[in-house]
Amino acid sequence: MTMTPPRQKADRDEVFLEYTKSICPVCKTVIDAEVNVKDNRVFLRKRCAEHGKFEALLYSDAKMYFDSLRYNKPGTIPLETQTEVVNGCPLDCGLCPEHKQHACLGIIEVNSGCNLDCPICFADSGHQPDGFELTLEQVETALDAFVRSEGEPEVVMFSGGEPTIHPLILDFIKMAKDKGVHMVTLNTNGIRLAHDRNFVRQLAELKPLVYMQFDGLDESTHVAIRGRDLRSAKEKALAHCAEFGINVSLVAAIEKGLNEHEIGEILKFGVKHPAVRSVAYQPVTHSGRHVEFDPMQRLTNADIIHALADQVPEWLRLSDFVPVPCCFPTCRSITYLLIDEDNVVPIPRLVNVDDYLDYVSNRVMPDMSVRGALERLWSASAVPAGEEGNTTAPLECATCGIDLPEALKDLADKSFMVVIQDFQDPYTLNVKALMKCCVEEITPDGRLIPFCAYNSVGYREQVREQLSGVPIPTIVPNAAGLQPVLLTTRYGSKTHQNGDGAGHTPANGTNIGKTLR
Amino acid sequence: MSDVAAEAVAAEAEDVKACCARTYQQDVVALILGESYHPGGLELTRRLAQKLALKPGQRVLDVASGPGTTAFLLASEFGVAVDGVDLGDRAVAMAGAKARDRGLAESVRFHVGDAERLPFEDGAFDAVVSECAFCTFPDKPTAAAEMARVLKPGGQVGITDVALDQARLAEELKSLAGWVACLADARPLAEYVAILAAAGLETTHTESHDEGLAQMIEQIDARLVAFKIAKLPAIEEIDFDLARRRTALAAQAVADGIAGYKLLVAAKA
Repeated sequence: MTMTPPRQKADRDEVFLEYTKSICPVCKTVIDAEVNVKDNRVFLRKRCAEHGKFEALLYSDAKMYFDSLRYNKPGTIPLETQTEVVNGCPLDCGLCPEHKQHACLGIIEVNSGCNLDCPICFADSGHQPDGFELTLEQVETALDAFVRSEGEPEVVMFSGGEPTIHPLILDFIKMAKDKGVHMVTLNTNGIRLAHDRNFVRQLAELKPLVYMQFDGLDESTHVAIRGRDLRSAKEKALAHCAEFGINVSLVAAIEKGLNEHEIGEILKFGVKHPAVRSVAYQPVTHSGRHVEFDPMQRLTNADIIHALADQVPEWLRLSDFVPVPCCFPTCRSITYLLIDEDNVVPIPRLVNVDDYLDYVSNRVMPDMSVRGALERLWSASAVPAGEEGNTTAPLECATCGIDLPEALKDLADKSFMVVIQDFQDPYTLNVKALMKCCVEEITPDGRLIPFCAYNSVGYREQVREQLSGVPIPTIVPNAAGLQPVLLTTRYGSKTHQNGDGAGHTPANGTNIGKTLR
Repeated sequence: MSDVAAEAVAAEAEDVKACCARTYQQDVVALILGESYHPGGLELTRRLAQKLALKPGQRVLDVASGPGTTAFLLASEFGVAVDGVDLGDRAVAMAGAKARDRGLAESVRFHVGDAERLPFEDGAFDAVVSECAFCTFPDKPTAAAEMARVLKPGGQVGITDVALDQARLAEELKSLAGWVACLADARPLAEYVAILAAAGLETTHTESHDEGLAQMIEQIDARLVAFKIAKLPAIEEIDFDLARRRTALAAQAVADGIAGYKLLVAAKA
């Protein structure tokens, strides 16, 4: 006689953390999702009735993820919202009255055309004959919507496409300034800045901050991410900016296995260059056009923070990065370095930031003015200090929090900002974080759409179709697991072969809208 | 000891106290130490208050109250009335002004006074706290006796302070500047317990918070560098390289277990 061993119950190999909503990365239907922690990493998992199960890495250091949750500032209600709540998040953008935060930063994409055809482009731009260019009236409509919502908007970013090839770009910047926007930033690949010195001279008169793509110093990095070796163009563009006194933030798209090894070198280059006041690192957003990736192995903010601590240990370590409290705190981390010829010191080592920016423990502030100062530094609207920068005063204040000698006023010139920003994609979209997003795309019809919703949910396709008059298919991430069902679109991005394309609304595969009896 | 020698020692001790208080009042030191004058910051002050089981309405004395941070926290989060005493008249004036600004003037008062001659009646307080200060008092037995005197029977003393093994400490940290940095006259924890016991205060609880000390030393070093970068005039008053060498020595002392930061609660019989 054989004995059957008693059956043993097994434990799950993960910690269940959150229940939230997301979308199917293929058909974009809103579906339930759960967030779990496994092996000190945070994952989001979901299931579409039609397209199956999807899982993606959200944050590769669970301890850092938990620690950052305390930095969650209560949101500010905008003066005006643009839509009503009809179908629930993320289908009512925006902003709808349920959104938890006002817009710190508004982005206006002025065109879809570009003088590059990068293998990686969340906007799916390039040398395309069927795109759009916004008119002065359309930009005015967008700016007016932003002003009605914000009163005095903090930052407007002109982007594209490639905004510097729009014939009216200088007029757009001037218009934004005239309407009371505090700071205008220009998001560019730098090619026109390299080859058109006269344009840089005219641009300098408007005192924008230039956000320049800068993914690394290796030729192989340029070829892999931009399709061309742009090193000399970047150098010329930066030299022109230095010549005319334009402050530059280098923006580095970092992709797993491509340019992670250059994270430290980019910072060192920026610190040394007279035009550069900031570096912003962004794990490549797997929306639009991009190289094939594995959602379970993607790069997250934690990887970039760890890389900086590993590659530039003489300047930085993990605890120098502080989550930004205005948006959802896992989305963005910032630090500031004070720098002179001989010394470097990160600001968070000077002041116990935790004493001021922990909003969850109910606490008595040592000094409310210091909290205000730190909130301005750790914000999605923070820009590196300079002639037009707004960080000078808070920097002085935050550094010590008490009576300040005059001499400290020069400190802003010696500060350098390091930003790490992970944008959500159709795999990682977590409605909980999205609801507090403070970076919005401003559309020419006057909506303010959270950036990650714009790129993931289908708004980008909707707006481009409206503006260009050309049908745009639903863009699907170029993920490893989806390869058999993907087709390449005419812009180089991917879509589903069965054409969950323009105008097609798939059946709702979630429990939303159903009742038990 | 002859009277003359005793007077000389007493005079020297007075000098040290005055110098210490003066140094803490200088802007450059204030800048470098910032709002929180003790390791562990506000979190450790809260923990101390919890260990003392402070209750609303109780009367608490803060010895060496400095800028008043501890006093404000105890009053606003634990609902106690606090008297702060400090040797520095400017610190007392500034803390008093802050109390008015924060609407705490009713519950928090600051007085100029000496830890060895506390300007209060016997048995006036439910609890006495002193953060990162006991180690700097030149006559610790007298300071302990004064704490015991002003406590009600059954009242408690709560101290957070630097503890260290003097014998193993680097020579350079034993100088006067080392004193200001809370290290040169700090004692091992057992010695604090013995000093308090001799004053009739029985230690009921101790815990270690050495990481707070390491962080504070690092913050001091970071601020020195920041003020150098800012070319602060006050930084020119001190020897920058010497100051940084001392912070490095202090950090090493913590890493080697020679110096630490302790929380201690003692009760009056």
